[in-house]
Amino acid sequence: MKQLRRYLFGLAGVAALLIAGCGSTTSTTTTSTAPKDITIGTLYAGSGSYATSSLPELAGLKFWMNQVNKDGGVFVKAYNKKIPVKLVDYNDQSDPNTAQTLYTQLITQNKVNILVSDFGSVLTSVAVPIAQEHKMVLFDPTGTGASFFTPTNPYIVLTGLPTSAVWPDNLAKYLLAQNYKNIAIVYAENDFDQSQDQTLTTQLKAGGVTPVYNQGVPTTTSNYDVIIHNIAATNPDAVLELGYPNNDIAFLQNLAASGQHFGFLFTIFPGQLFSLLEQNVGAKTLTDTYTYPTPPLLAYNSGVNYGMTISQFTQAFQSANGSAPNFLDIAGYNTGLAIQKTLETAKSLSQLDLRAAAGKIHMFTLDGDFTINSEGAQMGETLPVGQIQASGSGLKTVIIYPTSVATGSAVH
Amino acid sequence: MLRRRWVDALVVVVVVLAFVLAPQAYSNETLLFQMMVYIALSQGVNILYGFTGYLPFGYVGFFGIGAYGASLLMLHLNWPPILALLGGGAIAVLLGLLLSPLLRLSGAYFAIASLAASQAVYLIVSNPALQNVTYGPYGIQLVSQFNPTLSYYVMVVILALTVAVVLYIRRSRFGTALQAMRDDPVSAAMAGVPVVRQRTFAWMISAAIAGLVGGAFAWQTSVFYPDAVFSLSISIFAIVFTLFGGAGTLLGPLFGSVVLYGMYNTIGISDPQYFQLIYGLLIILLVLFLPDGAASLLKRRGSHVL
Repeated sequence: MKQLRRYLFGLAGVAALLIAGCGSTTSTTTTSTAPKDITIGTLYAGSGSYATSSLPELAGLKFWMNQVNKDGGVFVKAYNKKIPVKLVDYNDQSDPNTAQTLYTQLITQNKVNILVSDFGSVLTSVAVPIAQEHKMVLFDPTGTGASFFTPTNPYIVLTGLPTSAVWPDNLAKYLLAQNYKNIAIVYAENDFDQSQDQTLTTQLKAGGVTPVYNQGVPTTTSNYDVIIHNIAATNPDAVLELGYPNNDIAFLQNLAASGQHFGFLFTIFPGQLFSLLEQNVGAKTLTDTYTYPTPPLLAYNSGVNYGMTISQFTQAFQSANGSAPNFLDIAGYNTGLAIQKTLETAKSLSQLDLRAAAGKIHMFTLDGDFTINSEGAQMGETLPVGQIQASGSGLKTVIIYPTSVATGSAVH
Repeated sequence: MLRRRWVDALVVVVVVLAFVLAPQAYSNETLLFQMMVYIALSQGVNILYGFTGYLPFGYVGFFGIGAYGASLLMLHLNWPPILALLGGGAIAVLLGLLLSPLLRLSGAYFAIASLAASQAVYLIVSNPALQNVTYGPYGIQLVSQFNPTLSYYVMVVILALTVAVVLYIRRSRFGTALQAMRDDPVSAAMAGVPVVRQRTFAWMISAAIAGLVGGAFAWQTSVFYPDAVFSLSISIFAIVFTLFGGAGTLLGPLFGSVVLYGMYNTIGISDPQYFQLIYGLLIILLVLFLPDGAASLLKRRGSHVL
């Protein structure tokens, strides 16, 4: 009997720990009167493979919040007044399983008004069903996986880039226009890169060009030596390497060390994280390569009708943070602008009203045209083709295609 | 004997009640679900490591194949989720059978080989050449089947079954045979214990648990990429939770999972650097002073730990 009692005490202890281990509950608040602040909940990767991309995105969002709060807060049409913005952010450490718990934490415990996902498709993927289940609009800065946007999910808004399958549209057209016949593609095996590979191969084949080399590699690949030599053996006119920043860096470093040279070389991330790539692979390796230029390389100074222009943002961001912004800083800031515009026009703070307001936004920001379709996917922004060219002692990015937005021509 | 059965039944009831009632007190069901996942997985590791001495670093392979097996049965064959989940468990058992020759190895060799096997499974599943079958690196979308409430309660059932199985193993001749093999396989074989068969059976039970848990995880998550269900951190968490609480007992891994996963979610998220420091110190202290886990503290005082 004594032993039985001991078991029961032990089990009760475990059960109590279980409840205690989960933390305390927070009370539910009603919103019949204006809230003290608008709470935005987001995650960031403070470590792990997505940290280099996630941290600038968070910095951009924080910059927007500080700017708005300096001005007394964000104007909320539902209450016809400005309300300060508060940010609740958790570190998911680049782990989707941790992110899953934390997104739920933001919704159920912190009871945030606005939910913003972490960088990229992997860390956004787990947020999509959670947001839908809790009927929360997910403001998604850079999770461009096409499968997130479906007619049955009214709770997502892609604030930045178009879905990844749309990215290579201009690139495919440019390659066909240049009459390249021997095209080699190496892509990292993930949703983001493989969807681009599929779009490219489909469009190239439709133009009568079948890639001479089209090979997937694990996203964790850090040595492309053998692949580079295999590609060189096919005598390609154009080589496209589609990967995440770490893939691009490894490929370009290996290429420089191999002594091989390709006439047309395309990688994705010099256009988004120029400084990071330049630091890691050197200006010489980047010279004359091609990329998708994004702001600030793609400088929207005229035509901006909401928020700062690129020049204003660059100056203000640098003075606030001590470093020049990259594309992901801008993506974070742009997400803030999308939230701001949504709150300025939504009838109430109900999530469906917020989504309806976001759907009606037409604005031109430092990130380009903002227009989403009925599924929440970004349609306004397009990605041109650019070339990184030598300019005095440094480098500059020249937009070469489409011709309607071109700022120069390619150097071969 | 009757009292033991009552105690066993009470253990299962308390665990079930704790997780059935917990959402009333704490509404982050995802956290509670993940805690159940790690308790069940640590019990799966416990069956293998605690009872046979085989440390499966690649245990996540069974979890991942269970998640994918269940998902693909739902997507390709339109199986209802609960049936698909059982199918995921069965596929994990088949994988266990396929990998059973690994049990010819032991110690670090087995740990490394099981890790390699799980990576091989991951690379096969995420291979773009198999996109029509596994969806390759594009990941899984089970949005039409998404049902977090039902999947939560199904996970409670899986956890209860897992606890019941571990209790059975602790009480049965089978468990005694496994522990005899762990301590001295030659002597156990000479005493008439069918070593290979029993060890393989334990390996497959452990695989089945991970497969079922993986299936429930897939159902609850509904959108995931291969690296989310084949992440090595899942194996490591399950192993550390087991070792912290005490392998070879039921309450040890349960205690380890609740305490460490609770700690991970309280300080590990806001201050990961402190968590990693505390985590590291705990493991060092554990290895130095409590190599048999927290349960050994009670055992040293003469208490029987279930």
